[in-house]
Formats: sequence, C-alpha cells, structure tokens
Amino acid sequence: MSVSTWPWAQIIATGFSLGSFYALVALGFSLIFGITRAFNLAHGELIVLAGYLAFALWKFYQVPFLLTLPVSLLALALVALPLYLLLRRLKEPYALNTLVVTFGLALLLQNLMLVMFSADYRLIRPDFPVFAIPGANFFISASQIILVVLSLLATGVVHVVLHYSFLGKALRATIQDAEAAQIAGINVNRMALIGFAMGGMLIGLAGPLYGENMYLYPTAGTGATLIAIILTIFAGVGRIRTLLLGGWLLGLVESGTVLVIGSKWRELVAAAVLLTLLVFRPKGIAARNQE
Amino acid sequence: MTGNYSRPLGLTLFFLTIGFMVLAWLGNPGQVGAADEIKLGEINPLSGHLAKHGQEIHQGILYAVAEINAQGGVAGHPVKLISRDDQSQPVVALNQAQDLIVREKVVGLVGGYVDSLVGPVSELAARHHVPYVASASLQRGLTARKNPYFFRVSRLDGIVQPVCHFAAQTFKAKTAAIFHLSTPGATEFADSLKSCLEQAGVSVPIREKFRPGWPDFSILLLKVQQTRVDLLVSGGFFADNLILVRQLKERPAGLKGFLAPWGVAYQSFLREVGPGAEGLFGACAWNPGITWPGTEEMSRAFVEGFRRKFNEDPNSTTMHGYTSARAMLAALKAVFAAQEQLSGDTLRRALAGLDLTLPMGQLAFDEHGDPKYYQQVVVQIQQGKMVVVYPPERATGKVDFSLAMR
Repeated sequence: MSVSTWPWAQIIATGFSLGSFYALVALGFSLIFGITRAFNLAHGELIVLAGYLAFALWKFYQVPFLLTLPVSLLALALVALPLYLLLRRLKEPYALNTLVVTFGLALLLQNLMLVMFSADYRLIRPDFPVFAIPGANFFISASQIILVVLSLLATGVVHVVLHYSFLGKALRATIQDAEAAQIAGINVNRMALIGFAMGGMLIGLAGPLYGENMYLYPTAGTGATLIAIILTIFAGVGRIRTLLLGGWLLGLVESGTVLVIGSKWRELVAAAVLLTLLVFRPKGIAARNQE
Repeated sequence: MTGNYSRPLGLTLFFLTIGFMVLAWLGNPGQVGAADEIKLGEINPLSGHLAKHGQEIHQGILYAVAEINAQGGVAGHPVKLISRDDQSQPVVALNQAQDLIVREKVVGLVGGYVDSLVGPVSELAARHHVPYVASASLQRGLTARKNPYFFRVSRLDGIVQPVCHFAAQTFKAKTAAIFHLSTPGATEFADSLKSCLEQAGVSVPIREKFRPGWPDFSILLLKVQQTRVDLLVSGGFFADNLILVRQLKERPAGLKGFLAPWGVAYQSFLREVGPGAEGLFGACAWNPGITWPGTEEMSRAFVEGFRRKFNEDPNSTTMHGYTSARAMLAALKAVFAAQEQLSGDTLRRALAGLDLTLPMGQLAFDEHGDPKYYQQVVVQIQQGKMVVVYPPERATGKVDFSLAMR
C-alpha cells in the first residue's frame, strides 16, 4: 500500500472513533426516549456529572481511567432513578412536560456543578499509548480504539437484551406502543424504570469518555444533549443499532470533509447530509418503508 | 370642577418641583451627592462556556474595587460594584447591561470577554451615554465606528504583531499553519496573522477553523504533517489547546514549534499538561513575574494582595479585568479632581484623557477607544516556567529550539 493511501486510513480511523463517541453520547438519551417518551434535556448535564465523577476518581484518588467506567456506570444508574420518580408524576402531554421539567433540571445541575467543581476546564488525561505504522502518516490512539470497542460493546449488549430476552421483548413492545403493551399485561411503569436504569448506565459510560475526549465544564452538557438529539433523529427513535451506524456515518462525513475540502465546511456538509436524510427518510436512516 | 382652580398655587408648585427633581435625577443617573456611593456596573460570563475566563476577569475587577475602597473610595465616595452574569450569551449580556444602566443607574460599565458579548453591550452603552471599558475585546469593527463611550484595554494588533514578528524574526519560520476558533475575534486574529506572516515572507499553506469543543484534531494534524510546516499557531482558547496539545504529543506532525496566544501562558495550563507543556510558546500581556518594566513593585503588591484575597494566583486574564477597572476608577478620580459633575460625558472625556502606568503596561486610549500601547510578549515554557523570548528588549531568556521541537 502506498503512502498516499494512508490519509484515507486516517479518515476511517478518525471517522469511526468520532462516530463511536457520538453514538456513546446518544445511546442513553435514545433508549430513555424510546422506552418512556421522556425528552430528557438534562441528558448532557448527567453525562458531564458522570465525567466529573470519573475526573475526581482519576485525579484525586488515582483510580485508573478504565476503572472509573464501571463506578460511573453504577452511580449514574442510581442517579437516573430519582429522575424516573420525578418524571413519572408528570401528566399529559407527557413529552412536552418532560421537556420543560428536564430543562429546569439541566439549569439546576449546571449551577450545582458550577458551585461544586468551579468553572475550570477539566480534562481526563490517562497515559494511553498511540500506535503508528512506520513510514506512513497513520496514527491511532488507544483512546480511539477504546471508543470503538465500547460503542460496539454497549450497542451489542443493549441489542442482545432487547432482542434475545423476555425483558427485551417487553421493552420493545413498550417502545413500539406503550398503551398496547399495557393492555397485553406489560407493566409499563416497570419498563420505564428499567429504561431509566439502563439509560443511566449508558450515560455513566459516556461521561468519563466525554471527559477524556472533550473537556468538562459545568455547561458542557448542552453540546452533548445536542449531539444526542441529532443522532437520535438521524438514526430513528429507539433504534439502538442504527444509532451506531448513524454515528459512524456522521463521523466519516465530518472527517472526510475536513481532509478533502477543509474544516470550515464540516458543519455545513454534516447539516446537509442530515437535512437530506430527513427529507428522504424522515423516520431515520434504517427505517423500513411502510405504507 | 371649580375646586381644582381654587387649589393653592404653592401646593402645585411643590408637586411640580418634586416632579422636575425626579426627572432631573432620572436624566442624570450618575450624579452623586457628597458621601453617596458610586455605582459601577460589571458584566462578565460568570457561567456558561466562557465562565472560567469571565470569573478570572471578575476577580481582577473585584480586587481593583476593593483596593480603591480600602483607600477611602473615589474622592470620599465608596464604590459599589454591581456584578452581572451574562451566561456567555449575547442576549443575556444585553439584558443585564440594560438593567444595570436603566434600573441600577450605574455611572459606567466594565468587564466583558469575547467580542460577541462585548459588542452588543458597547452599542447599548453608547445609546445611553454610559462609558464602557471592556476587559477583553479584539475585533477591529467595534472601535472602527468611533463609539465615543467605548474603550477597551486590549487590541488585536497587540497580539498579532508580536506573534508574527516572533515567528518571522526570532523563530525564523519558513512556513506556518494556523488553526483558529470560529469566533469573530479568533477569525480576525487568523486573518491578520496570515496577512502579517505572508508580508514577512512566511508562507501559510494551512488555515483551518474549528468550533469550541472539537474533540479530534487528528485530520487537521495530518494536513500539517503532509504540508511540513515549521510552526503551528493555534487561535483556540485554553480548553481547546489542552486537547490539541495532547493530540500533538500523541501524533507528532513534524513541527518545529507550537504557539498558542490564548491558553499556554497560564499556570493552570502548565498544571494540567505537566511536562507535556515544555517547549510550547504562548503569549501574554502580564503574568506574575512578567510585568511592564518599572512596575515590578506594583505587580508584586498586586500578586500578594490577590493571593491573600482569593487564595490563588492571578493570571493575564485577571490582569485585564483589573486594568479595565483601574482605568474606570482613575477616570472617576479625574472627574472629581476637576470638580466636574459626574455624568456619562465627563467620565468619557476623563477616560479619553487617561495616561496610566499599570503592571500590564502604559494605558492611554486613542481616538477610537483602543489602547495605544497594548503589546503582548511571547513566552516559551522552559522547565515549567514562562520565559519571555520576544520582544528582544523584554526577553528574559533565549528560545530553546530543541525543546520546541519536542
């Protein structure tokens, strides 16, 4: 392989890792929204909170970065429970009410984090190795590999739970039609609780990775929520596997654009792809054509 | 109805007089009595994505006001600082400025970080004839229109010129790449720097912009590596430079040096990056230990007082806040010294005629409200310390090229 082909390898590596990062940020939001129809605008703030938890463990208690992931995962599953209890009290129009309540919650969390962690930028910097191919302009870091592996793992586990277990069937039935699921004897409240717990775990997984790949500050969550909303629309609501595909597609488009036509076109091209998709496939990239 | 006409003339005159007094007070918000406090307004991003820098500026302003009040205030009047948070959003900045001017009736405004927040406030202040001294603003357009009520303590050329001349004359770069944020100030910085470098004979084959919070610079660094540039200049803020420097360390792009005017010359950056900061170049207007010649004692007193008050070290951004407040306070003193009535116009004239020497340098404003003498220095991180390497007359050490290549 000639050296001139390596830039494309770099685009692929960067695109996949960036896309995996986007997918990990969006997974929790998509799952909670899919199962409960709760439009959680505090999603990003919860990710940042998980990031701060990982930062504190890594920085002050010298916990290895990878070990902060399970701690954060469990902690955010617990944090998601009061959120569930708060949102279950809301009446119709449920989605709109959750939007308003979680917007308030996002502001509350931002201010709490400002008081607790100050406005300083925090970055988790584990000493991960970088792999280079001799003689080629190609580098891939362990951090990028971890993003791809964890996104595959998280998506895979959620897919297996949803498609190969009785619980998963009940959850999918709730995603598809909560009223029909209730008539069929499924306890939709319990499904919502499980949805929040699973979503919380995914948020807990994304938080430390957010703190490692981006940087943490109290209002950083707005960006993460935006990524999650865009990708959920991009992939189609409740479609966990295609969330990863959507993330990769977006990551590849962005990386290719930066290398080929320049960074100033990155957002424009990504927005054009998203808008085109919404015009031709309004239910997401993997939605089946239904008459 | 005849009863109205029989109302005593004295009572009518009394109410008319009271009415005129209220109107006169509303029309002269800045007027103060002998022992009245002087209300000074401050708007900064104390929350939101610019909160770190906004709070640094806020601390500098707080310190300046506390300092003057400890000395008995301005001509015996205590200064009351009313601080407002613009949440890093222009609309909020505008609302807060409106509230400070109309409801709180402040005599002047200080603070502000980035032009998107400073710009709208400067226009509003001009409409209400309230002088505004911005702490951190660069965009040329803001002062090009000659807003007589707008002053600022920093300017773009004060950063572009030293960076450009350092790259061309001291570093002797043949080629350079510029990465910059998509904010108006950073974009104008990149435009001006590119133009200056090209005039100085340095080719700039790469100029790329990025949004704050860009997680992956690897494709941009690949471009740098393919083009084989000598020097990479980053027009990103503190946090973006943290990520960029880390990725640069992970995947060397064949550079001979990396320079970031915003971000590197901060103790907090050195703490975050650790040994990875060795050899990097930054720029600053001031830092503890880097002060305008002749102001060493003033600078030392500021650092010590600041540490006592806030239990932390000040930095270049803090000093910008302090300098803007000092300018406003000096102008207030000048108005009282001239025994003039305090108003927007007298304060504006006093600001226009200021000539102060502060740790950041000599401060006087030109006819556009820009600081005449604002000039940053270029530093290199050597053994965890900031060593001034440009301009030659202020240099405290020489460039370590081997360290820069690392």
